[in-house]
Parts: sequence; C-alpha cells; structure tokens
Amino acid sequence: MSDKVHQVVVVGSGAGGAMAAYELTKAGIPVLMLEAGRDYDPKTETPMFNTNYQAPLMGTSNVDKDFGFYDATVDGGWTVPDEPYTTGEGSEFLWWRARMLGGRTNHWGRYSLRFSEHDFKGKSRDGLGADWPFEYDDIAPWYDKTESLIGVCGANMDLDDMPKSSPGVLQPPPKPRVPELLVAAAAKKLGIALAPMHRAVLTQPLDDRQKCFYATSCGRGCSIGAAFQTTTSLIPMAKATGLLEVVTDAMVSQVNTDADGKVTGVTYVNKKTSKSNTVNAKIVILAASACESARIMLNSKSDKHPNGVANSSGQVGRNIMDSTGTGLGATIPLLKNRPRYNEDGHTANHLFVPWWGHEQQAKGELDFPRGYHFEIGSGFREPGAYVSGNFQGYGDQLKDEVKSNYGAGVYFALRGEMLPNDNCYMEIDEEVKDKWGIPVAKFHWKWSEHEINQVAHGLKTAKEILTTMGAEVGELPAPEDAILKGGQIIHEVGATRMGKSPKDSVCNQWGQTWDCDNLFVMDGGVFASNPHKNCTLTILTLAMRNANHLAGQIQQGVY
Amino acid sequence: MTVDKDNFKQQEMSYTPSMTRRESLKWLGILAASAALPSLGACSDVVSSKDANLTAGHWPKLDLAPISAKGYGKDPNMVIPPESPWPLTLSQSQLQQVAVVADIILPGKDGNPAASKIKVPDVVNEWISAPYSAQQRDRITFLTLLAWLDDEAKMRFKKDFISCSSVQRLQIIDDIAYQHEKVSEAFAPPTSAFSRFRSFVLAAYFCSPTGIKELGYQGNVPIAGDYPGPTDEAMAHLDDVLDKLGLSEFAFTMPSTD
Repeated sequence: MSDKVHQVVVVGSGAGGAMAAYELTKAGIPVLMLEAGRDYDPKTETPMFNTNYQAPLMGTSNVDKDFGFYDATVDGGWTVPDEPYTTGEGSEFLWWRARMLGGRTNHWGRYSLRFSEHDFKGKSRDGLGADWPFEYDDIAPWYDKTESLIGVCGANMDLDDMPKSSPGVLQPPPKPRVPELLVAAAAKKLGIALAPMHRAVLTQPLDDRQKCFYATSCGRGCSIGAAFQTTTSLIPMAKATGLLEVVTDAMVSQVNTDADGKVTGVTYVNKKTSKSNTVNAKIVILAASACESARIMLNSKSDKHPNGVANSSGQVGRNIMDSTGTGLGATIPLLKNRPRYNEDGHTANHLFVPWWGHEQQAKGELDFPRGYHFEIGSGFREPGAYVSGNFQGYGDQLKDEVKSNYGAGVYFALRGEMLPNDNCYMEIDEEVKDKWGIPVAKFHWKWSEHEINQVAHGLKTAKEILTTMGAEVGELPAPEDAILKGGQIIHEVGATRMGKSPKDSVCNQWGQTWDCDNLFVMDGGVFASNPHKNCTLTILTLAMRNANHLAGQIQQGVY
Repeated sequence: MTVDKDNFKQQEMSYTPSMTRRESLKWLGILAASAALPSLGACSDVVSSKDANLTAGHWPKLDLAPISAKGYGKDPNMVIPPESPWPLTLSQSQLQQVAVVADIILPGKDGNPAASKIKVPDVVNEWISAPYSAQQRDRITFLTLLAWLDDEAKMRFKKDFISCSSVQRLQIIDDIAYQHEKVSEAFAPPTSAFSRFRSFVLAAYFCSPTGIKELGYQGNVPIAGDYPGPTDEAMAHLDDVLDKLGLSEFAFTMPSTD
C-alpha cells in the first residue's frame, strides 16, 4: 500500500471502463485501471483463419470453452475457476464472465443498435419498470460520437424502432446474403421490414484499425482491429496519452470509505500473489460489469453504508434484467442445393428483423408490453463438429444429403426486452466465498408473464415467416419451455440503476451514486430498462457521456 | 485435428474394455425370456429380422474406467492449438473396427476418399478420449456399439466383426442402419447408437479439408475490397425461389446510405 492518491481509479477494462479511461485521459486526467483478469493482446492471441479441424474436438464447445474452442473468452465463460456464484432455490441464472483485459468486448456480437425515445420512456407509456432520467435528444449526439469512434456499419432506415445516426456517421453495410434476402421478402409479405444490422465492425479503415477482410468469426476477437474491442482501440489509445496505468490480475473486493461515508479508494487482491492491496483515489468508477459492480458495492459495508456502499435506496442488486431469448429454425426446401459462394461476410447478420410492433402495442393488440427483434442464423458456415439431418442407412448417398442440406437452414433467434420484477435480483451469499475470500453473488430469477407472452408471440411469428418461405414447421414448444435461462443472453443490466430520485435508484443520470458523490458506475448496471437492442453500444455511449461530464467537473475543481 | 493424420498409431491400452461375457449372456437370457411373453406390448410390433429371433436383444454393459485426464482448460493456446490434449484410449483393434464401420458409412466415391483415408478414426479416438461430458456420453455409445457388433458377429458368424466378410458385416449393419417405427425393439439400442456414430462420422468427414471442399464452403479467405455478396448464379437461384413462393414483389432493396 502506498500513500499515493490517484485522481481516478477505474475498475474494469470492458466497454464501460475502457471508454471512461479513454475519455478521462483524453481530457488530461490520469487514470489507474484495475482489471481482474490477465493481460490480453488480440494482435498476437487471436486464432485468425484457424479451422475447426485444427482445433481439439473440431472446435466444439464444452465446459472449458463454452462458446467453442476459438471463442476469445479467457479464464471465463459460464464458470470461472475458483470464483463460483450461487442461485436461490428454484432459480436458474447463468452469469458470463471474462477474466481478461478488455473483458467481454473481446468476444461480443458487435450488434450496435441505438435505444430510442420510445425505449427510454417505457414507464411513461405503459406504467411498467422505470423511465431513464434523460431524453433521447440528450444522448443522440453521444451515440454519434461513440459510433464514429468505435466504427459502426449499418444504414439509416425509416423505421420507428431504429433512430437514425447523423449523416456520415455509419460506415456502409455489407451486401445481404441469399437466405437473408429470402427472409426479407417473406417477412415483408407479412408486413415486417428487415434492415441492415448495425455492427461495430469496420467496413472502412479507421485510425490504425484495418477494415474487415470478411473472414474469421468475430467471436474469436480480431487481430486487425476491424471488429471493435477495447484491447485494440480504447485501451491502447488511452495508453498513448501516457496517463493510463493498467494493473491486471487485480480483483477488487471492496470500495473503501471514510468515517463520513466518503469514498477513499478500493481494495483489490493481486491474483498472482494473493495479497491484498489498497489504493487511494479521489474518484472511483466501477465498471466491472453490472453484477460484479453490484457485488463489490454490496460487499462494501460500513457504519455509514450498512447495506453496502451507496445503497441507501436498497436498489443495489435489484432490477436485474437480461434480454429474453428463444429460437426457432427449419430447413427451407427451396434453399437445398443452392449455388455456393462465400457467405462469411462480416460473420454475423447483414440483415436482421427490427421490432415492428410499436403501433400494435399502442392499440392494445398485443398481450405483452415491450418489443423484440430477430437475429437470423443462416448461411454457408464453416463446418464443425455437428451436421444436421435425419440420416438413414449408409454409403455415399449420405454425402449428397449433407451437401443438399448445407446452407438450407434458417434460424430465428429472438432477443426481447424484459421488465424488471421483484423476483429477479442478486444478493451476497453469506455462506460462500471465492478463492480470494470475497463473498459471492447469489442470483434469484423468475420470468413474468410479460416475457412468456412475448416469447409465445415471437415463436408464432417465426413460424409464420418460415412457413411463408416454404418450410414445414412442426408444433411450437410451450413458451415457458422455450424461453432461455436468465443471464443466458449475457445482457444482464440494471443492478445499480440510474433514475431521477435517490429513493428508487442508485445513480443519477451521470452514473454518479446518489449517496457518494465521488463514486460512479459506468457499466450496464446503470440501465433503467433493458430494451431488446443489445446493450454494449449504450454502455459505451453512457460511459463516454458521463466520463466527459466527470472530466468537466474535475477540470472545474469540483473534486 | 490435432491427432496424427498419417497413420493409426499403435496405442498402449490404458484400460481393458471389460464387458464380461457372462453378464452379457445373462442379460441376453432375460431379454429373450421377456420377448417370449406375448403380453408385453412393447414387443408386439416387432418385425422379424432374418436373424432377430436368434440373436436380438443383447446390448452390452461395459465397465469402462472413467477418463481421468484433464481438459485443455480455460486458457489454451488458440493460435497453436494443443497437439495432443489428452491421452488417446482406443486400442489398435478398436481403431481398426472404427475404420471398418466408418468406411461402411462413407466408402468414398468419385475420387473422394473413404472415411478412414482421411483419418476419421483418429478424430473418433480424440473425441471419445476427451474428459468432457458430451464426449463421455459418446464414448459409452460408441464403445458399446463396437462391443455389440463383435457380440453380434460372434453369435451370427462365430468371429469378430472385422473378421467377417463384407457381406456378413452388411447383414449386421442393415439391421441397425435405419431408424423408423418398424425397428424391432431388440435392435433399438444399436440402431440409436449407430445413428449417433453415423452423424459423427459425417461431421468428422465434412470438417476435414477434403470434406470442406466437397461441401463447397468457400469462406475463410481474406477479401481485399468490399464483401462481394451473392454471385449472379446465386441471385438467379434466389429470384427463382422468390418466384416459386410468390414473393417476387416483396424482394428486398438496400436502403441508400448517406
């Protein structure tokens, strides 16, 4: 322990933490960043062009590599060695963690859709959940800045679910593939419009990052920097200022406060030595991921903060929302034996199905309050450890069947907005500690009828589209069975939500905790709601806006 | 794959598949006895295979030592994947038997190789020797299938499966290669196991460089300019599909970009 007082300590190096560090160092403010995982360099560690055949078990997933051998995630996944979490009785919840520099930005899907005014004001509309403490217009310029900085390809559409970026902000989207075009036509017949997906993947060079060369799944990470991750962009850019110091293998256990309840710094465990270290800081920014930040706060009890630091509202750990998830797929007979070409593209959706139901919901025609979108699974993908088909017999005619089915499947993955409810929250499990002696998170989970009804609608719609494409779709599963588990979409947010009042929220609109003016949260924990659109773009945007605001305050001598 | 592609290595046997013949025969006896009971509804739809009355109903219970090797862990080198992540466990004779069955499934034609020629047995060996749950389930399935094939061959032809003639092998495989409602109860377990093995052999084949080429996967190559999108031929095919489905008027057009 040294007597040095850091200006700002940032906990976490993912979307929120790296953006905060970038914005602060750009403004001339020194930052100490603590990352619980190891150092990681995509330039040398990404398996570009490696084939499944070169990997153990043809690259298939298992408990060591939950998303397959080549997934970028290091020392993490649904389980982290020596760092358990628990669930309440009858609850199922999965918590994805990545213990590495850059966190989950190294493997994320790069889907980057803006939230809209409609999304920010759900409660005003239907009385459920919570509104955000700002308007879309407040944040729109920050979306522009973030998209320009990280690089997002896509197109502006005249669709009420997709706010437009300012001219020149988006990079051009890649051309759609054949199955996506078929989905688009079938959906349009049903009155549903498709749109180019917005993705944080460069189709044109940016800074020293190269444009996508349309090969190697982005989930592996990207050695050329085309797919955005903080380890090839924000962190090196912040380091280039000379003002960012990064300490890896530094697992923060608690936020420290003085007798007045003011934050004085954090304590972390050096994972290499297992020794505890305390660092002093004028300002602490938590960006360890929604539930990890909440865990740290709940583990930071003192006389002034008996329920955990900045938790006078009792809302820390509450209001956890994931995206809903389910899926439905079928083989499209007319796509069998279709002409081959390279469908890798930027390795994820070129087109997707945005939410189309604002009007129906306004008219009360739907039995669920919030929207969803479909991501499309299709294409001539790199073969792996499994082939689909109901095979009979033996002999080389089997090959014809595999070849015929190849690229003929279309799968709809639903991602929907869930509402917060009293049954979905985390607390500290007083019985269980991790290897570092830190009490672990205990999750409680139960979907409400809003999510179940939404999933039922999604399955029915997916079946309609598939049927319009000429597929035979059997009986649909019950939505209660078809909905994925809490946490499984890895969009868990809301555990330290922002709001307009210290009574029912943890932070104000700047991510500043109501109780401690020098403690900030800049990860997905601050989300007041969880629109169906993937959360990372908004985590980045809020972190940029709020760190910029904080930099201004520091420069004015507030701290 | 990370295993030796050039030859089947003679493996030290790390365990002995120790199905006891006595137990197997005892089990067979019980099943045969129940099959004789007309009141058992499950057997009422049994279709008589030519040898079923003589041999059907056995499904060995192997006493397999658990795989105790460690996995590759949560931070393996992905750029240069581990060459040999865990000890391989198939014996030479099991590898040969896998090769024979895999080549029945994919014998090779039109200048394309049989499954064993691109070392599918090595892929099987790596897979079933892995310490993960899905692979362990397949290990039981595959090894039990191999043992069943030997038992069945001995009962029918008084020799190991691989010592049988091609015709004799196919007589056995024909009884377990088709999944339909009429599969006799007695052949249900080996039929189900064969189905999983067949799917695996297909995956291992089409994951290989040879298989990928045959399948027509054209990706995993860097593109210097924009993503070219579908070829004219692919678009012509799509237009035809849209026409057949009555969707031509709904064809997607890209929005103009700023």
